[in-house]
Amino acid sequence: MTVLILTSEEDVTADMVVVHLNGSGVPVVRLDPADLTGGVSLSGEYVHGRFRGHLSAGGRLVSIGGLRSVWVRRPGTPAGRAPQPSAWLTEEASQALYGMLRGCDARWMNHPDAARQARHKPWQLRLAQRCGLPVPATVITTFPRAAREFAERFPDLVVKPVSGAHPQDPPRAVPTSRVAPDTDFSAVAFGPTLLQRRIAKRADIRLTAVGERLLAARKATRPDADPEEVDVRFAAPGSPWEPVEVPARTADAVRAYLRRSELAYGAFDFAEDADGTWWFLECNQSGQFGFVEVETGQPIARTIAEWLSRPIPDEPAELDEAGSTVR
Amino acid sequence: MQPFALNYARPAVELAVATPYAYDSGLQLNVLGDGRIAACDHALLREVGTTTSTAGSKTHFDD
Repeated sequence: MTVLILTSEEDVTADMVVVHLNGSGVPVVRLDPADLTGGVSLSGEYVHGRFRGHLSAGGRLVSIGGLRSVWVRRPGTPAGRAPQPSAWLTEEASQALYGMLRGCDARWMNHPDAARQARHKPWQLRLAQRCGLPVPATVITTFPRAAREFAERFPDLVVKPVSGAHPQDPPRAVPTSRVAPDTDFSAVAFGPTLLQRRIAKRADIRLTAVGERLLAARKATRPDADPEEVDVRFAAPGSPWEPVEVPARTADAVRAYLRRSELAYGAFDFAEDADGTWWFLECNQSGQFGFVEVETGQPIARTIAEWLSRPIPDEPAELDEAGSTVR
Repeated sequence: MQPFALNYARPAVELAVATPYAYDSGLQLNVLGDGRIAACDHALLREVGTTTSTAGSKTHFDD
């Protein structure tokens, strides 16, 4: 049984997992859907009540029925590198590839439906609340007045994109940023705006969840850190990431989050305050982990490889049209 | 007419580092010029930053 990895060639983080899969002798096929229909080919037929499908990439041929797991890591846009790419061809390629894969019995990290849902930050915040994780006071609004009133109640605020996406025309990044108390909120009317009470953090926490296993790392906030730089991705290099134990209550809540979101993998970001409370910021369903492993030595790649290598559970027998048991 | 959050935007910094490895489709891994597997060289990965959580990616927002 084979592990299928959907990712780009330059994804060296995926390599960290492939190395472990190779070491344990688990067959791997790695492909980028962007290479349909160049270096990647597919075929599937539905005949006599049965399905037989195959994928081919880099000279390897794998039966879709022979997949034990599918890791959706950093896949490109289907057929994005076709000689004559188009939105229509992308939709055709996407439906063909993911449509066939959705019909197989393989385990997913993460299933496309779960991934799509999990990308919604407002949904994340509500699920985190329901699972018992502390969530900073937050408002998402297009009403300038609501934003002003929220700022009166919580004067120390940050703003961040609702979607986590960044504008590309021209390419810009929108880091989590502090909002001055006397800010003019009238532009809130021109786009949904997420304002959140700033957590005066003494550390950033990145908790990587792989199945039931939780691996957390902590990056202490330096005493001389610029208080205006609240987004660790943009801050100057500071303290190193170090392994940290996950508090039992947080672990229970994170596992509940994973169950309810049907995620097999999630990279949770928390802000640790002066009392040691971990405040939930977001869960990236395909968040980076390589930088944490490189700094902490935590075996994240190996844990992912082990999860992907597990055999698929026995499926209950199905009945064909004649009522006979089939497998 | 600019949305509020874009008042805090800054130019995206593209990764300008030329990665010293290339994909080998036979191995399904990125390899260095001397044939070593890039993912096994953690010092290199730390240096080039290609496994790091970033923002402003054109194609991915799961950091």
